[in-house]
Amino acid sequence: MIVAERKPFEEIKAMVSGYKKVLTVGCGTCVAVCLAGGSKEVATLNAELELALGKDGISPGAATVERQCDMEFLAELDPLAEQYDAFISMACGAGIQFLAERFPDKPVFPAVNTSFIGVNLDVGWYEEKCRACGTCVLGTTGGICPVTMCAKSLFNGPCGGTNNGSCEINTDQPCAWYRIHERLSAQGRLEQIMEISPANDWSNQKPRKIIQPGYEERIKALQG
Amino acid sequence: MTAEKSSNTIEISINTDVLVIGTGAAGAEAAEVISAQGYKVAVAGDGGQDIAQSGRAELIEGAHIRDFAGVAGDFRACFVKDGQRLERNFGAVVIAPGRNVRPQAEPFGLSLGERVITLGELEKILADGNARSKLGGAAVALLLNLTWEGDPQYTARVLEASLAIQQLEGATASIYAGNVKVAAPGLERKFTYVREQGVVCFKPMEKPSIEQTGDKIRITTLDSILRKTLVAEYDYLVVEEKAEPSDRDLDLAYSLRLDTDLEGFLPSNNVHRFPVNSNREGIYIAAPGLGANIALRIKELFGDGVKSVPADRAVVDPEKCTICLTCYRCCPHGAIFWQDGVAAISPLACQGCGICASECPMDAIQIGGFNDKDLRRQVREAVAATQKPAIVAFCCQNSALEAGRAAAEFGMDLPAGLKLIKVPCAGKVDVEFIMQAFVDGADGVMVAACHEGNCKAERGNLFARWRVNEIRKRLEALGIDKQRLLFTTFASNMAKGFAETAAQFAGSL
Repeated sequence: MIVAERKPFEEIKAMVSGYKKVLTVGCGTCVAVCLAGGSKEVATLNAELELALGKDGISPGAATVERQCDMEFLAELDPLAEQYDAFISMACGAGIQFLAERFPDKPVFPAVNTSFIGVNLDVGWYEEKCRACGTCVLGTTGGICPVTMCAKSLFNGPCGGTNNGSCEINTDQPCAWYRIHERLSAQGRLEQIMEISPANDWSNQKPRKIIQPGYEERIKALQG
Repeated sequence: MTAEKSSNTIEISINTDVLVIGTGAAGAEAAEVISAQGYKVAVAGDGGQDIAQSGRAELIEGAHIRDFAGVAGDFRACFVKDGQRLERNFGAVVIAPGRNVRPQAEPFGLSLGERVITLGELEKILADGNARSKLGGAAVALLLNLTWEGDPQYTARVLEASLAIQQLEGATASIYAGNVKVAAPGLERKFTYVREQGVVCFKPMEKPSIEQTGDKIRITTLDSILRKTLVAEYDYLVVEEKAEPSDRDLDLAYSLRLDTDLEGFLPSNNVHRFPVNSNREGIYIAAPGLGANIALRIKELFGDGVKSVPADRAVVDPEKCTICLTCYRCCPHGAIFWQDGVAAISPLACQGCGICASECPMDAIQIGGFNDKDLRRQVREAVAATQKPAIVAFCCQNSALEAGRAAAEFGMDLPAGLKLIKVPCAGKVDVEFIMQAFVDGADGVMVAACHEGNCKAERGNLFARWRVNEIRKRLEALGIDKQRLLFTTFASNMAKGFAETAAQFAGSL
């Protein structure tokens, strides 16, 4: 899932001050699961705003849609939108931008910082696992992502900074390639660590679009 | 809308109010005929005082649709009227299309002026006693359906104007026509009558060339009946007014999720539908003279307000559904919405094509009579029981299945290992089924759909073709001959074509 963190209240307050009618929009998917932007967080933020700015200062509304990354769900906000001067989005960066696209004549303010693609370790505890590099090498790295875990995002490793299982930057930071070595060795396929993975094409980090196989003609027909 | 379960059908209570969008002649006519059936009608649009005065329908004057949701029997329209939102529920919607008019002088290298005028301008001149006199003694040429397909209403206007000119002292009218559209009551007779009155008609074989020199207009044309190049001079040229879909209609098409035809007009063409039906159940497109047809369709849909429909036409498994919206986006009939966190399929609006079921990434949708388990079993049996080469042919029940069965009936040679599997639409043929057929040992798989543009489910055949193309790529990547998977199209009367295609396919395996 995409993991996000609520922004400090002062930052949100500064953004919305001056706007009386503000609709706080939660997202019911990733950010709800990581406890940053679901309907509970919406209610909490609105209460904070009312306490800080007073009922005369702000009158926030609340709505949580299934996903802010699907326009159809954002359209559910249309009837509400005209009652508000501005929006606060508690979705990830993708959802915030899509909400802003849906209502281009109104300011949209982010209430969360989108942090990473990660996993749930326990309630409220998350760890980054993927950097969306676009060239997955997990098959040869024992299912451990060196782009995410290695401080240098090395596709081939370890480097000279590996330090008894830790990274040279910090003893709390495990060395990704040490872990990869351990895992491949345990699985009896250590020789694979010798295979050179070509450098990733980092130019792929410009805004990317994906059309799943089989849908090219449909998209063409839609656009045609 | 409430639904109660009985054995295999459910009863749905339907909102029997009808919304008519558009206050013009077609809208007024539809409102009149539908309300005569006993249903409550509201007409939305600008003007329309005559409708309000008739007392047959409520007029929501100046109201324009802002949002639209729901399905047949339960549509929710949100209007904006005087800056206020107004929400209303309806069971059916009738759209009386509007049209923009574009004068067609430019295609002939001409520009509008004193001597080159539009049909609308001519009609104004003819209606005005003083202005009309200037046409006395004039030779007038009228163009008809040369730059666009035209329609009967436009033909009627040209004929009417020609006749009026012909009846002026010393004036003559000539019509240069492409296809003359006469499919309206009395129009064919009128066309004959107009010619009897002396209006001359030419049918150019190609676009006439037209030159204006001062006050004279010279038309050079190759007439298809005389097979001769004719040159004639006129005092006035009346160019066509090509109809284009109005911006309002294009907006409506978008917000009501309606398909248009290639030129953008409502509704899209589909031979399986009545001309007043759109791709969505409960949404009809009006045209002058078609009010009664719409009233019939609405009566059929509404009945007395309670409708019995099959309970299993399309069923969503709420445990599997993740409301990814794929089904909602793919349904050609706008029959799918979402409610309480799962996709919901209206049994009234659903046509049972199964495109949604095959597109659903979670296999959460089952189609009545075409359950995935049954289809998988049929594939297994088809492969196991057949002689070589084993061919699994997924056949659309609207076309290929009929063609295939007819071929067998007529005793045509069909490959011994060919097994037909009936599907409601080629759009129901799941990627999984095709792949499984190969895994189970099929030598060949045939996906037999309706011809392009002929799909009852609007584009189920396209979905099928897209999937087949994709699987062929995957087979190729696996080192399997992609020719083992065939996409083909039939009409239901193509028994011979089916037999030939099947034989050829078997031979190639």
